[in-house]
Amino acid sequence: MTRALAIEKERPSLAGTWSFTHDPWTTLVWGSLILSGGLFLFAGATLVWQSLPIWRHEGWGFLFGGEWFYRHELFGAGAMLYGSVAVAAIAVLLAVPLGVLAAVFLSEYLPRRLRWGMKVLVEALASVPSVVYGLFGVLVLREWVGGAVEPFGGWTGDTLLTAGLLLAVMALPLTVTLSDDALRGVAQEQRVAVRGLGLTRGETVLLVVLPQAWPAVVGATLLGLGRALGETIAVFLVVGRMDNQLPEKWFSLEMIFQPGQTLTSKLGGPETHLAAGDPLHWGAMMGLCLMLVAITVSCLGGARYLQGKGRGRA
Amino acid sequence: MGFRKLGLLVSGVMLAGTVSPALVGEVLRVQGSTTVNPVVTEALEFLREERGIRYRIDTLGGSAGGIRAVGTGAAEVGMSSKAIGDEDRRRHPGFDFHETVIAVDAVALVVGPDVWGAGVRSLSREQVQVIYERPGVSWTEFGGPDRRVVFFNKEPGRGTWSVFAEWSYGDPGEAPPVSHPEVGANEEVRTKVSRTRGALSQLSASWVDGRTVFALGIVNDSGETIRPEGEALANGHYPLSRPLLLVTEGEPEGAARELIEFLLGPEGQRLVRKHGYLSLAEAGL
Repeated sequence: MTRALAIEKERPSLAGTWSFTHDPWTTLVWGSLILSGGLFLFAGATLVWQSLPIWRHEGWGFLFGGEWFYRHELFGAGAMLYGSVAVAAIAVLLAVPLGVLAAVFLSEYLPRRLRWGMKVLVEALASVPSVVYGLFGVLVLREWVGGAVEPFGGWTGDTLLTAGLLLAVMALPLTVTLSDDALRGVAQEQRVAVRGLGLTRGETVLLVVLPQAWPAVVGATLLGLGRALGETIAVFLVVGRMDNQLPEKWFSLEMIFQPGQTLTSKLGGPETHLAAGDPLHWGAMMGLCLMLVAITVSCLGGARYLQGKGRGRA
Repeated sequence: MGFRKLGLLVSGVMLAGTVSPALVGEVLRVQGSTTVNPVVTEALEFLREERGIRYRIDTLGGSAGGIRAVGTGAAEVGMSSKAIGDEDRRRHPGFDFHETVIAVDAVALVVGPDVWGAGVRSLSREQVQVIYERPGVSWTEFGGPDRRVVFFNKEPGRGTWSVFAEWSYGDPGEAPPVSHPEVGANEEVRTKVSRTRGALSQLSASWVDGRTVFALGIVNDSGETIRPEGEALANGHYPLSRPLLLVTEGEPEGAARELIEFLLGPEGQRLVRKHGYLSLAEAGL
């Protein structure tokens, strides 16, 4: 506590030195901050500006409208929003429980030497380029899903479910390694102390280690979610790219066994090229960009907020 | 070098309309179809590196724009995916249009081994329209297995798609608003069609291998079945095909002639195949 206070005391004196003019270092860091912030604002403003025609044309209906036929000037992003959310939800629902449990095994049960090897392996998996996962999806996953969805009215292996499964596979290594880091961050003394009080290993993990690591695990989840929402090429290859696939009832699951479209698969497709030169169509594509940015940025913001909250409690 | 090229480009554009061709004669101006464009651009880039040809290429106005540019003297070479028509001749009376076919773009309707194995060999335009407009229709209606027709639509903007849409609906804009799963590159079409039961899609004919994907014949209005191969491609009877051609004023000369000769030669014809079109030999021309 005293140490924290000491740091708090030092801060005002540091803050006092932020004059631009005399210190090149301060100028450099401020300049970098302003430049990166400015670039982000510029990009955001461009998206808003260029998407104006579509908001004028469709109004808020653009967000949830169920019909997208650009040749008939119908632009509704609803099915793509649904696709993105469904795909990301499937990925997170599968990857997080599995990833956290795997991390518990890595961090709490595996002997140190084996753990190191596994960790290297998992991190290698996390760095495999997404197009490789995409090809794996085309050659293996879609075949398998194609057979599995038939009882549920599916008729091809390119479905929202396939994309979700593929994203789960892709997000898994990241979830495992970040959760493992979070679990290792809990002090070893606490485990020893609690075991000394007679708790079993399982109880130690469930009652002591996991609760403390939880905020960081949730942060990792949201980072994974952000990645899942933004992933393009792998999704593009297996999602089917079929427009206007909105379920008749929200939360009915039938559509996940069908081909669909996500915000990213639409933006990765040929329409971006076709739209150039047509302000309305281009505006619609920029509108999709804006939606995607808004969603991923809120995910990251949420991750930061939760992590901060967790730290405050601990 | 970059600046010089840019300068040439800019001056070429600025002078094009106003100064006699002699001054800009060194820059070969090429304009027209986006379908032909990739092949010609790659050929020109090769000729620039190897023989120092200077060029400017754009796709303003597509095929029609290319023909018009040659007719008005705004370009030496026009790229077109359709033959010169009566309307073009009316618009440029007395103009000596010279056409050189460099490749053929033929689109096959392809199915996988299961549909082919069940004995489906051809479709008519009406049947294709039914498939396009009624997602979920069964192959039994077309003499095939009791499976849903899984129609993979080539994504919009692809030349293949416009050939298909022009044949089935007269004009891409007339195609009814129905959503299908979409496919892009030829590799993707082949993989997905061969690995999805009941699949049907459009594929550039040069990509049909008769092993993983099979081309259906087209039943024309007089009831004949025409397959996308051999004679039928060469004489234009196969309906889903079009010639890719370069248009010049009279016999091509100078750089235009070098370009055309290159494209007709073995290296040029390899480029044609690389970009997914039928070489002249394949099309029997």
